Amino acid sequence: MSDKENGQGMSRRQFLTYTLMGTGAFMAAGILTPMLRFAVDPALKRTSSAGKVEVGKVDDFGPDYKLVKFKVKIKDGWHEEEAEKSAYIRNKDGKILALSPICKHLGCQVQWNTSPDRPNHFYCPCHNGFYDENGINVPGTPPQAPLDEYEVEVKDGKLLLSLTPKPRGGA
Amino acid sequence: MFRRIYQWLDERLNIGPLWRDLADHEVPEHVNPAHHFSAFVYCFGGLTFFITVIQILSGMFLTMYYVPDILNAYQSVKYLQNEVAFGVIVRGMHHWGASLVIVMMFLHTLRVFFTGAYKSPREMNWVVGMLLFFVMLGLGFTGYLLPWDQKAYWATQVGVKIAGSVPLIGPYIETFLKGGDVLGAQTLARFFAIHVFFLPGVLLALMGVHFILIRRQGISGPL
Amino acid sequence: MAGRHEKDVEYVGDSRVIKRRGGPLTPPDYTEFPGKTEPFYPNFLLKEWMIAVVSLVAFLVLTMAHPSPLEAPANPNDTSYTPLPDWYFFFLYQLLKYEYTSGPYTVVGTILIPGLAFAALLLAPWLDRGPKRRPKDRPVATSLMLLALAAIVFLTWAAVDEHQKHMASQGGGSGAPTVEVSPDAPEGEKIWAKQTTCQGCHGVDLKGSGFAPSLEHVGSNLSQEQIVDIIKNGKGQMPPGQFQGSEEELQKLAEWLAQKK
Repeated sequence: MSDKENGQGMSRRQFLTYTLMGTGAFMAAGILTPMLRFAVDPALKRTSSAGKVEVGKVDDFGPDYKLVKFKVKIKDGWHEEEAEKSAYIRNKDGKILALSPICKHLGCQVQWNTSPDRPNHFYCPCHNGFYDENGINVPGTPPQAPLDEYEVEVKDGKLLLSLTPKPRGGA
Repeated sequence: MFRRIYQWLDERLNIGPLWRDLADHEVPEHVNPAHHFSAFVYCFGGLTFFITVIQILSGMFLTMYYVPDILNAYQSVKYLQNEVAFGVIVRGMHHWGASLVIVMMFLHTLRVFFTGAYKSPREMNWVVGMLLFFVMLGLGFTGYLLPWDQKAYWATQVGVKIAGSVPLIGPYIETFLKGGDVLGAQTLARFFAIHVFFLPGVLLALMGVHFILIRRQGISGPL
Repeated sequence: MAGRHEKDVEYVGDSRVIKRRGGPLTPPDYTEFPGKTEPFYPNFLLKEWMIAVVSLVAFLVLTMAHPSPLEAPANPNDTSYTPLPDWYFFFLYQLLKYEYTSGPYTVVGTILIPGLAFAALLLAPWLDRGPKRRPKDRPVATSLMLLALAAIVFLTWAAVDEHQKHMASQGGGSGAPTVEVSPDAPEGEKIWAKQTTCQGCHGVDLKGSGFAPSLEHVGSNLSQEQIVDIIKNGKGQMPPGQFQGSEEELQKLAEWLAQKK
């Protein structure tokens, strides 16, 4: 590879090699940049989760949790569909809490107050996970984070939820 | 660093001869556009290969979004072209490249023909080249259907009927291409498979033979 | 270690083989060619890459300047569509339109002529066996190829020409029938003009065809809500989900249709 003729400057062969590498890099960039950006586009695209969905009247909800199912329009690329989602909602002491029933451990559906071991807890039957009545995970059980929470809004006596639940810190 | 890796590999595999054969072979003056401008006609083969590489790459990336299903094919193409970043360019590369590769291959074939380069001892490579041409046309035909727009549907309808006009076996070919009695979901799925797996496989194999033969036999001499 | 391979490292130079005529295989060198030769890497490759760079830039500019075409979604019921294959199949397509290549002679156009042409090309090295390589020293091969080229150019041109005349007589631009709408037409009418799938059965002018009813007075039977429902879910022979556009556009279209009394 190294055929420097007299030790100073660069040889013709080296110059040609560098020029080859330069133009080669240019062509590779020209071809691959659009393709790579194209490939990773979903990762960089901001998903719009704006908007609210109505789930019922505020008066329907009492201090005990109630499971409601509601439909959300989902845009998956070119495919739009209505997906069914659900939330545990309670209205206690004038504060409305809407929790996603998806267990933070492995994504099973949690149930309210069905385990005799711990009454008034969310119970995940898959791996015996527990969350307390505020949806905070009980230490020592599999889940490592509290249940996700929907943003709530009250409008004309109707309860609106955000389209996607947000994770909460804590525990 | 690279030198050490290279030496380590070379000690074990003696890879020097492999690449030196490619790198050091002498290129005669009569094919070198730097010496005779008219020698640019010898570039068409290389450009065909270059665009083929672009076709393979852009095709691989397109399948990240494309869905070969009659309900979604059109929507996915529309989506990847209009909503995905650089979609216009990546689909454009594949769409226009398909035409360009045919043009380049055509010019390359004409160059070989008019310089009589297919004559003994290079007959086999000419035959391989003709088969490559045929495979490329097949890729063009099967790829045309995939966006599932009006043009694709009706042009394929005609193409399939032409195949069906072959005496005796025509109807069987037609059913095989359609994957059933109607041009529909099954046709799209099998055209996709042929376009993406079968023909490219054949193409790569033939290209390998094409390049090995030209390396073994060298380029034909000046006229 | 390295010494083991010393005797076969002498690969510098060319490794062409010519047909063996007895004797051992000896790689010939390029001294048989006049003029200057140069190594493939890096000298010649660089020249090839310069050409590749120019081609690539031109190619990228093309892809950006001209987005790839995408017409309306395939509609198997639209029998008025005039198909065209990719341009490099034009000459084959056009060939089928002549008297002795169509009707009872279709086989001539679809199999015989293309088959003979391809076979002749495939077997060219054995049909054109003389040692001479210059085009003018092998008049038969050269003139046949020129003739074939002229035929391909002519047929391609004829296909384009005929298609354009056909389109002009149809009054349509891109094949699918489209309606001329004035810019101040109602929103719903503009939306209807884009619904080639609907027009395939109900007609561009709402007159209907076959099993698809006329929509000219649809508003006297159906309300806006009922129309929306039928468009979404289909009815009888009508498949669901044919509408192309947003929910809002669908409502506007239904509103416009409901006013047709």
